[in-house]
Amino acid sequence: MAAAVETNLQPRYIDVDRQVQRAMAPGGLTYWLWVLFCAFLTALGIGFWTNQVYKGLGVTGLTEPTMWAPYITNFVFWVGIAHSGTLISAILFLFRVRWRTAIYRCAETMTVFAVATAGLFPLIHLGRLWFFYFVVPYPNERYLQPDFRSPLVWDFFAIGTYLTISTVFLFTGLIPDCANAREFATGWRKTLYSIFSFGWQGTDRQWRNFQMVYLLLAGFATPLVLSVHSVVSWDFAMTQLPGWHSTIFAPYFVAGAIFSGCGLVLTLIIPIRKFWRLQEMVTIWHLDNLSKIVLFTSLIITYSYCVESFMVWYSQDSLEMTTFHQRYFGPQGYLFWIMVACNCVIPLLLFSPRVRTNTVWLFIISIFVNIGMWLERFVIIAGSLATNTMPSQWRFYTPQVTEVVITVASFGWFLMNFSLFAKFMPIVSMTEMKEGISWLRQAVRTSYPYRKAA
Amino acid sequence: MSDVAVISTFHSDEECAQGILALHDARIHEFRAFFPFPSEKIMEAVDHVRAWGRSPVRYWQLFGGITGVLTAIAITFGTSWEWNLNVGGRPIISVPPYIIIMFELLILIGGLSGLTGFFVHNRMPVFDLFPGYRSRFSEDKFGLVVQCEESAAAKVESVLRDAGAEDITREILEAATGHH
Amino acid sequence: MENQMSSHQPASLGAAALRPLRESMQLNWAPLNTLGLVLSVIGIAGFVIALILGRSQRVWEIWLVNFLFFNGVAQGGVVCSASFYLTQARWAGTTHYRMAEAFSLYLVVGFVLFWGVFIGRISIFPWILHPSPKQQLWLNVPFLFARDGIALLVMTIISVWFVSLSRGPEARSWAGRFDEIDMPPVAIRRLAPVVAILYCAIYSLVAFDLIMSLSPKWHSTLFGWWYFATDFWSATAAMGLMAVMFRRAFGPNTTASAPGVLHDIGKMIFAFSIFWIYTGFAQYLVIWYGDIPTETFFIVQRFWHHPWTLLSWSTPVLIWVIPFLVLLGVRPKRTPGILGTVSLLGLIGVWILNFILVVPSLSRDRLPLGWVELTITAGFLGIFLLCAIPGLRRVAAAAFEPVSPELQPRME
Repeated sequence: MAAAVETNLQPRYIDVDRQVQRAMAPGGLTYWLWVLFCAFLTALGIGFWTNQVYKGLGVTGLTEPTMWAPYITNFVFWVGIAHSGTLISAILFLFRVRWRTAIYRCAETMTVFAVATAGLFPLIHLGRLWFFYFVVPYPNERYLQPDFRSPLVWDFFAIGTYLTISTVFLFTGLIPDCANAREFATGWRKTLYSIFSFGWQGTDRQWRNFQMVYLLLAGFATPLVLSVHSVVSWDFAMTQLPGWHSTIFAPYFVAGAIFSGCGLVLTLIIPIRKFWRLQEMVTIWHLDNLSKIVLFTSLIITYSYCVESFMVWYSQDSLEMTTFHQRYFGPQGYLFWIMVACNCVIPLLLFSPRVRTNTVWLFIISIFVNIGMWLERFVIIAGSLATNTMPSQWRFYTPQVTEVVITVASFGWFLMNFSLFAKFMPIVSMTEMKEGISWLRQAVRTSYPYRKAA
Repeated sequence: MSDVAVISTFHSDEECAQGILALHDARIHEFRAFFPFPSEKIMEAVDHVRAWGRSPVRYWQLFGGITGVLTAIAITFGTSWEWNLNVGGRPIISVPPYIIIMFELLILIGGLSGLTGFFVHNRMPVFDLFPGYRSRFSEDKFGLVVQCEESAAAKVESVLRDAGAEDITREILEAATGHH
Repeated sequence: MENQMSSHQPASLGAAALRPLRESMQLNWAPLNTLGLVLSVIGIAGFVIALILGRSQRVWEIWLVNFLFFNGVAQGGVVCSASFYLTQARWAGTTHYRMAEAFSLYLVVGFVLFWGVFIGRISIFPWILHPSPKQQLWLNVPFLFARDGIALLVMTIISVWFVSLSRGPEARSWAGRFDEIDMPPVAIRRLAPVVAILYCAIYSLVAFDLIMSLSPKWHSTLFGWWYFATDFWSATAAMGLMAVMFRRAFGPNTTASAPGVLHDIGKMIFAFSIFWIYTGFAQYLVIWYGDIPTETFFIVQRFWHHPWTLLSWSTPVLIWVIPFLVLLGVRPKRTPGILGTVSLLGLIGVWILNFILVVPSLSRDRLPLGWVELTITAGFLGIFLLCAIPGLRRVAAAAFEPVSPELQPRME
């Protein structure tokens, strides 16, 4: 509950270290039970996946015309989550936004593990997953090369690049922090941090090169954020299916990605700061600003829904009007309205500064955001497919146990990896917090009235 | 006469920056600064004193990016031309989709090259400690280590003390390792 | 007020540590005034003569193009200022706010000029003489002008209110405090999001109604967003041009013309041109890939049919290729000549963009570009300049305002 420590309104450099060091202390029983629970969910997922590989995709509810439903939904969902991590760490870095420093490490970690989770789903969806290498361009005897005109091939390149670059970005940023951690760690941890710091000693020459590579990586990661989720959205927009063929998909999906990702950052960072007592590093001021991004992207989503609906009506295209009518008022229409409530209405609460500075409210809203965004992908993907251009084919998707378990297991897998990383690596960037110590002091001072509620 | 390392510890980045400028004024050039975060003040002082220009890592990234684009063009144009199946009525070499592959490979190869350049120019991983490195320089203190002959050490110490060093020690270096 | 110039003293909150970068200078506004008047007279004369001579189709086409362009720059500027407040940007003291808002007076005049579209509606909207039966609920004269008229009125009123708040003492003193993390004053921090949200909605509506409806069969969901992003970018280009002009007049030691300020504006021009090409390419790729005739004709006609090809291809070159390649490095952004040229070319590019969006829908095979278009464009430009002078004066005044010491290194 509320920490016994007095709020230190003038944190010094060493205080930053000590707080993060405390967070990195060996985990207690609760922590390991949590990790074990996540591992159990993962194991369940692996079990069901193995069963699916053995028996084929028929064990799922996937059938014509909804050949894409939960797995692709999960894929898009997890890739989307990853994007706000890069937004926070790279794009806000380029804009020199001051509140980024306390949360960007957590966001970047989320990115890397979210992409890793997302990357599993095309494999899960392949059925015969061992043929995935068909999408790699290499000399072969099949008289075929991957069709570079296909959005699925673009996906391979985009996701692969994104996973690589975000991992590189994360581990590059970790170098000075691991050097820092190496100094106060002991035993095998000291070795671990020494390895990941690559012998970093913080000389002027080292920092000069570091600043350049970090700036360049941030500069490269920024268009990557825009491009990767655009490419994922083009998996759908490049078809002629009503409900999918829409030019707004690219920026709309990117905004949605940032929206869901920032929601998940909130979901992760609020418990972390509470259980590991980081309230004076990740202050209410930081959460306030993060939730403004959630609000902003929610408004973009609302705009996109309105424009899409308007344009369907404006164009008077009978195919599109039918699909959208089914989306709003068809058998699975309730999903659409839950989605609107979660994505458009509930985040409006964030206009109120009182809500933005209350961690309980933020946590609840962030859960709704994630539910809403998962539903959005599902409504778009499975909903549009179900009501395609041939009414004789119409059939709405119903989930089976396999997909449900694998979906839940993906959360378990993600949370397990994230929790392990967060415990063993500095989850708040000590280096950048010290660089912005003057703003941290102001943030602590500004957030002090909200301290007791945290 | 063996070389010594004069190791000074500073409490704040401003004082360390002043120390760098003071060393420069006293025409002492063989020094290395250690700091736990890239303080703007120290980096400015270093830029002023060293005249290194901007880091060369950016050239690695530039050439890596260009290589990425060319590779993408080679793969996409090449494979389409060589295995020319007409798909969807599109031109055999259809540029709009290939732009995406070019862009992704630009980022991928560019980023990895930049990282390689970073490791090369910093000569990382570094296995030996630099002379004078103290663990607190990675935590909350700023360090200036000057390498000089024993006879000159006293002068160096006085320059550093005037600049505001809170602690100065000497360490004898085994062999003269002259490079930075 | 004592100037504390000692570098060992930490800067205190408030006025004691402020000092101006250099002595204030007076500018002679007469030449700009005269230019504005002359161009306006040429425009009015051209307009009247063209109408008398029966060139009404060309008159109203170019009227719409110019209305869209100049309103876009002015409105984009106000939204730019709002976005500075929303992101708590204080990188040039108060000056970048004044620069963004410099054209705000034109919005009022622009609203009046909008009704020219009503007068010339027969020449502009093909669905008046040839109604599109299924779209009549949306595309009819009373409803369109009612909704667009009310929307633009609301936007103009809110913008003027916002600018007056932004010029008030509270906002200005907030902007001067570079190293604090406090939020802007209450009134303006409530109004800034309203400005931004209304802008997105209303300028999407303007794009759909005044551009997209000229080809009623065509639609693109991203069109509105792409269009208001273009207008925002044109405002940043106008700020770039403005900063370079002030540099010529005042030299590099003011907050309107310092190299650091040019650099920051250059970064905005660079970044938002990339956003422009991204949203443009997103539309192009989807339409190219789907190959649906009711979507492709719009692009094919502009990019691959004579006589529009050259003009249409010039737009991505002027709006993206040149700013991207030229402003990639640090030094070009800080060089006034280069930044000014890129900005000017960009503004011309946006004008051409408006031209090729509107005119090919109305005049498929003929490229109308003659004295009618030139005089009326000159007229709009003249009126725009005249309306901009009060705003520019404020920029000039702000350029010499004292600036906190933490900000000064960023100026160089």
